[in-house]
This record gives sequence, structure tokens and C-alpha cells, in this order.
Amino acid sequence: MNLHYGDPQIAIGATFAVLAALLAAAFVVIALQAGTEASEERVHQVGYWVRERWLALLLVIGMVVVGISFFDLPYATGGTAGRTVVKVTGGQFFWALQPDRVPAGTHVRFDVSSVDVNHGFGLYDPHGHLIGSVQAMPGYHNELDLTLQGAGVYRIRCFEFCGLHHSTMDGTFTVTAGR
Amino acid sequence: MSVADLPAPPAVLHARSVGFTPPARASERRIGLLFAGTGIGLIAGMGVLGLIMRLTQATVIGLSPAWFYRVLTLHGVGMITGALLAMMGALWYVLNPTVPLRPGRMLVTYWLTAAGAAAVLVATLVGGFGASWTFLPPLPFYPAGQWPVWSESVFFAGNLLVGTGFCVFCVDVLEQTTTRYGGLTGALGWRFLLGRDPEAPPPHVIAATVVAIDGLIASAVGTTIVTGLLGRTYDHSVGIDALVAKNFVYFFGHSMANLAIYLGAGVVYVIMPRYAGRPYRTSKALVAGWAGSLIFIVTGYSHHLYMDFVQPSWAQVISEATSYGALIPVAVITIYSMTMLVWGSRYRWTLASSLFYAGLGGWAIGGVGAVIDSLIPFNFRLHNTVWVVAHFHTYELLSVVVWILAFFAHVIERDAGRTSSRAARAWIVGLIVVGGYGFTGTWFVAGALGIPRRYAIQPAGTSGYSLVGASFALLLALGFLVYFVQIGSLARTAWSRRHFVLVDHTDGWTGGHYDARIARAEIDPAVAERPAQPRSGLPLSTPVQFGFAVAACVVGLAAFVPQIVDAAEVSNRYHHLDHAGHFFFGAMLGLLLGSLPRISRRLGDRPELGLATVLLAPAAMMLLMVPRIYEPLEADPFQHALFHLAMAGFGFATGLGATRLGLVTGRVMFILAIGMPLMFAAALK
Repeated sequence: MNLHYGDPQIAIGATFAVLAALLAAAFVVIALQAGTEASEERVHQVGYWVRERWLALLLVIGMVVVGISFFDLPYATGGTAGRTVVKVTGGQFFWALQPDRVPAGTHVRFDVSSVDVNHGFGLYDPHGHLIGSVQAMPGYHNELDLTLQGAGVYRIRCFEFCGLHHSTMDGTFTVTAGR
Repeated sequence: MSVADLPAPPAVLHARSVGFTPPARASERRIGLLFAGTGIGLIAGMGVLGLIMRLTQATVIGLSPAWFYRVLTLHGVGMITGALLAMMGALWYVLNPTVPLRPGRMLVTYWLTAAGAAAVLVATLVGGFGASWTFLPPLPFYPAGQWPVWSESVFFAGNLLVGTGFCVFCVDVLEQTTTRYGGLTGALGWRFLLGRDPEAPPPHVIAATVVAIDGLIASAVGTTIVTGLLGRTYDHSVGIDALVAKNFVYFFGHSMANLAIYLGAGVVYVIMPRYAGRPYRTSKALVAGWAGSLIFIVTGYSHHLYMDFVQPSWAQVISEATSYGALIPVAVITIYSMTMLVWGSRYRWTLASSLFYAGLGGWAIGGVGAVIDSLIPFNFRLHNTVWVVAHFHTYELLSVVVWILAFFAHVIERDAGRTSSRAARAWIVGLIVVGGYGFTGTWFVAGALGIPRRYAIQPAGTSGYSLVGASFALLLALGFLVYFVQIGSLARTAWSRRHFVLVDHTDGWTGGHYDARIARAEIDPAVAERPAQPRSGLPLSTPVQFGFAVAACVVGLAAFVPQIVDAAEVSNRYHHLDHAGHFFFGAMLGLLLGSLPRISRRLGDRPELGLATVLLAPAAMMLLMVPRIYEPLEADPFQHALFHLAMAGFGFATGLGATRLGLVTGRVMFILAIGMPLMFAAALK
């Protein structure tokens, strides 16, 4: 299965590219202006005026973006009622899932742990889009809630460095069509 | 002639910098060049290893996974060590004229760090240790047949040495800045902020003080977890709490990597104004910004644990808010102020000043990538993909490393009295910018695709990204090569002028400026004119403080009560907690007695002994907290009691040692020392 860009990742990448380009442009403009002569008083007068607004802008963006993000946290909440619990166990260098298949549309709670070292449970949909990841830790159970709509074979990769065969530690999880 | 009164050499600096730029003295130049030169050497070597890894991922060369991960581990530790080393030297260079530091301690820092780097080199390349620079416990103890136990020990010892080296630097900085500016609130500029001091410390002093405090906290956490893991190599029955240990490891590693850039900010505050011809002064906004950074630098590590869902949700939410918060002082104070400084200044473009300016961009752009990754819903889709590698390489490589190159060039150019040609500068900056952003940009794109990090073998069909990345890395390497050639040429000029410095001289008749020569001998003796460094008081001085210490001793005595000792036998964690109580009692007693004026006078000024004690005693105490060592003693009540007294004895030495470090540093080191056994008990069970 080849990897493909997921829609959220494309949006994130595009946002970064635009912001990075704007910053780069600003640095070029400032570098060009650096060769000119302006009085320090004038620079301070204008610069501090802009800085106050720059601070306000960053604070507003921060409150809005961080605030919105709190409504989309991936952490599992509530009990397991109405959910199929899938026990995920990571170990050097394997993934074991129980059960390893569910029907499409099932609300799944992945109960992720490890028998030895830290691993990362990274899940890709059948089209090769990265859905997300959660850590597998010895002695702890991390719970991830997902509703898997698309039928097919989901690929699991290790997302935390775990030793020699980290890059080939993979597994699969199947979502069957219909119940 | 006072050093501060000496004019600056105009040949490479802005003409207006005369008056606020003292000539670099021998001690500053030597330490600056020694640290930065060694750091650059280490960074260059680690960069070659990085290129080898990228070419392996591109399947151009065939490094085996076993070797790939050894190299990865060395690359990570080596790069952070190199960057820290160089930046410590650079900060020393700019801080020493304002706040005289101790060259002896700096050399101790140098040799500890160098020894640590050598140990990591041996552990990885000879021992085969390959648990990555993050060495998330318990991975070091699951080698999959790749490394022996001794390599684990050597690796941890190496980390301990590097952390201790940085700690020595931080202690010296904190001691000197707080003494010079009337305590912690003075050195941080808080008294100025509240209107109690008419004048504030210069910006780089505030930056240095913040770095020193956070550096000491990070070193304490690092010493605790690394000492615990070192003990674990001796006794495999010691259990590890994976979540707590992960918090501590990232606290240590992230903070150490992060602090390099904040050290750089202090350097930039002093050196960039020399090219802009405008001094950079402390404002209330700057003080407030660094007060924020004081918190944000140490909370920043926690975004590494977003995908550890068992980390309390409130901690995750605070982590996200503070990760964004860290952006505000950087974007509004440091980066913005430096661009304001440059604007319309007739900025003097030299090799050094060009690189300093370029480094600001690296911090800004890398920071945006980091802030995006620090939003939890985005992190869910980017965590441990190569996006992470992209953003930290953008600011570590294209800001920290570029600033280190800039600093080295600054010193050499000043000595040479000239800069490189405009064409050479354009090639160097152009290759670094194009190669560097192409190199990290490839990772950003691959991270959005979902390629995980630390993969010796890339997912099917994605090695092309590595090939493109490696190609840009070659351009970057070419840029560094041209830089080294130019530095070589400048260094030859500097060597020919080694007996004098060029300074600006204003002709009294015509008002024109020209370069005048001053023999170095006229400047360098000023180094010896080190002002007396009175000890800044004792950690305890008022009756209330002594009363509190006595009460704390009484509370600490509870750790010796037989019922509590027996109850603590239920698990290693509680047992270690009890030992932490013994240590606390001893430390409190030592602090109390050492702070009594009569005893203090008898002990005399022994800052070096005090420092050695507060560094060694807690570490030694934790090294002995291994069941394989203490369990055989528990059968005999007398030996058991002696062991507990020994724990208290280590504490006593620590407390006594802290009193030799003055009021602020003594208190800080004391608090950190008593916290270390508590953290130890939390992480190892």
C-alpha cells in the first residue's frame, strides 16, 4: 500500500507553506530596507505601534485556534457502551490486535498497550492516508476512539522508535463491508 | 584605559557601534573560539552522519539498520552537545564584559562536555548502543541483541557528564548575574518592571539568567532520570514507570535542545546591534516576555506526550496553551525587535551579520512549523512523522547552527579587521538558505504524507523524498564548505594581526574616522581587573527562615521512624521515597547549620567545593538507591540504619555545599537537590 496525502494533512501543509512564504517575504523586505537610513525615533514610533497590533493579532489567533482545538481532542471519553473494544498490543517487533476485524461503521475503541518498550500505533486507511497515532506504553493503556467507515485493510506502522526493526514493525486491521 | 571606554573597530562593525562595543579581550576570544570551534567541529561531524542517514533512506548507500540507529543516536546527542557547547561559549563571550564569569569553571564545563561527547561516541560506535538520543525507558534495556550492558552505562554516563557540564555553566552565570544585579528579581529585570529599580539589566543578562535557571532545572531532571537508568544497568530488578520516565527524559532532552536557541537569543541581543549601530536596551516588554519564556521553556517538553493519552487531560490542555504561549515572547520580542533594529539602520552586511540575520528567519519559520505541530488535533496526524524532524531541523540547523557560524565569523572578522567578499557571502548565505530550506522542506512535505520518523528503511515508494532531501543537504554542505574556506582566509589575516587590535579613531581636526592600532597588551590586562565577587548572602538569614528550617528538619525526622521505615518496604517506590526523606532531613540540617554566621565564617568561601558537593552528593545518593546494593544491608538493623544515615549524610553535604553558593544559587541548587530523590522515586519503582 502506497502512502497518499490525507485532506487534513494537505490543509495543514498548505497553511504552513503560506505562513512560511509570508515570513520569508517579510524577511526579504526587511533585509532590503536594512540598507536604507531611517531615524531611530521614527523606527521606534512606527515599530512599537505595529508591535502592539502584532501582539494582539497573535493573542487573538492563539485564543481562537487553541480554543477550537479543544473541541477536537482525540482522547477517548466515556465508557465502552456501544463501542467494540479492540485490544492492541505492541511488542518488539509485532502488533497483535484482538479482534483484528470489525464491520464498517463500527465505533471502535482501540485499547493500546505494549509488552516491552514504547511503540506508536499509527493507523493508515486502505487508501494510504494516515488517520492518526497513539502511543503504546508498557504498563499503561491508551484509549483511542474511531469510527471506521471505509471497508478494507488498514495498515499499522510503528510510530515510536523501538529498536532494530522499528521501520518494518507493521500490522493490519480489517474492516469488512456491512455487518 | 577602561575596557568599556574603548571604541570598536569600525572595519567590520557599524560606525555607530562605537561607544557600546568594547574590543574583544583575550579571555573572551579564546573561550568563545574554543567552544564555538569545538562545537562547529562536532556539528560538522554529526552533519556528515546525518547525510549518510539520509542517503541510506534514499537507498543510495546501504547502511544496515543496526548501524543506522547507532549513527542516529550519536547524531542526536552529538548535535545537541555541539550546539550547546558552541552557544555557551558565545554567551560567555558577550556576557563576560558585563558580568565577569569564572574562566576556570568554563574550562570545567568544556572538559565535562567533551568527556560526555567522547563517552557517547564510544557507547554508540564501539558498543553499538542505538536507543536514539531520546532513549525512552525502558528501550535501552531491550537491545534486541544489538548492544551490551556496558554500552548502556557508558551512554548514560556520557549524558550525565554533558548535563553536569551545562549545569556548571548555569551555576556560574546565575551566581554572577544575581550578585551583580542584586538578586534574582534584579537579574531577571522584575524589579525594573515593577518600578523598584530605575535601571534594568541589559537584555542579554536577563536572557542568560533565564537560561541558567531553566538549565539548572533541566539538568536536575536529567541527572535524576539518567542516574536512575545508570543504576538500572546494574540492577535489572528496578522497575521503570514508562510515563513518568518519558516525562523526565523529554523534559531533559527537549529543554537542552531548546535552551541552545535561547542562549543564541542572548548572543544576538549583543552582536546584531553592533552591525545595526543601534544599542538594544531592556524594555518592560522584554522583561515580561522573558518572564513568560522562563515558564514556557520548561513546560514546552510536554507536547512530546500528546499521544500518551494516559497523561492527564488537564496537563495536555495546559501543554497546548503554553506551547502556543512560547511563541509570543519569541515572535513579539526577540525576532520582531531584531528586525526593528535592522530596519533603516544602514545595516553593515558582513559574513557574520548576514548569517545572524538569516538565523532569525530560521527561528521564525521553524517556529511556525512547531506551533502547527503543537496543536493537539494536528499533532494527532503529525506526531512522530518526519514533520517533527522538519520543524526542529529548521530552527536548530537554520537558526542555532547558522548563529554559531555567525558568532565564529564575528570573532574572526573582528580580529582580521575585514570581512569576506560580497560574492563569497552571497554564495554562503544562498547555499545555506536554498540547501537548508530545501532539505527541511522535503521533510515537511514527507511529514504531511505521513512518513514516520526514525525509519532506516523508508515506506515503499517514498525513498524519492529522501533523495531530494539528500540532494539539498549536499548544497547545504557546499555552503558550509565555502564558509570554512572563507573563515580560513579571514583567520590567516587575523593571525597576521594578532599583536594588535584595530579600533575606531576620530580625528580631532577633521572629524573623520580611521582605524587605529592598539596593542593587545593594553587591553588584555583588563581581564585581570576582575571586580571582587562578594558572596551574595546566605540561603537562610532571618529568624523566620531559620525557624522554618528547624520545623522542616523535624518533619524530615519522620523518615527515620521505624513504623514509617517498615511501611515503606511495601515497594521500591515507597522505599525510595523514604530515602528521599532521609536525604531531605540531612540537606535541611546542612543548610541550617551552614547558614549560621558563626559556622559559615569557619567554613569560609569555598564556592568550588560547594558546587562540587551539590553536584556530586545527590547523584551519589541516587546511585546507591539500587535494591541490589541496599537490600543485603536490610537484614541487619544496624547496617540498615547506617545506610539511612548515609542517605542523610549525602543530604547534609548537599545542604552545606549549597550555603557556599550564595543566597540565590544556593537556594536554587538546594531546592533542585531535594527534588531529585523525589523524582527518582516517581520514575523508578
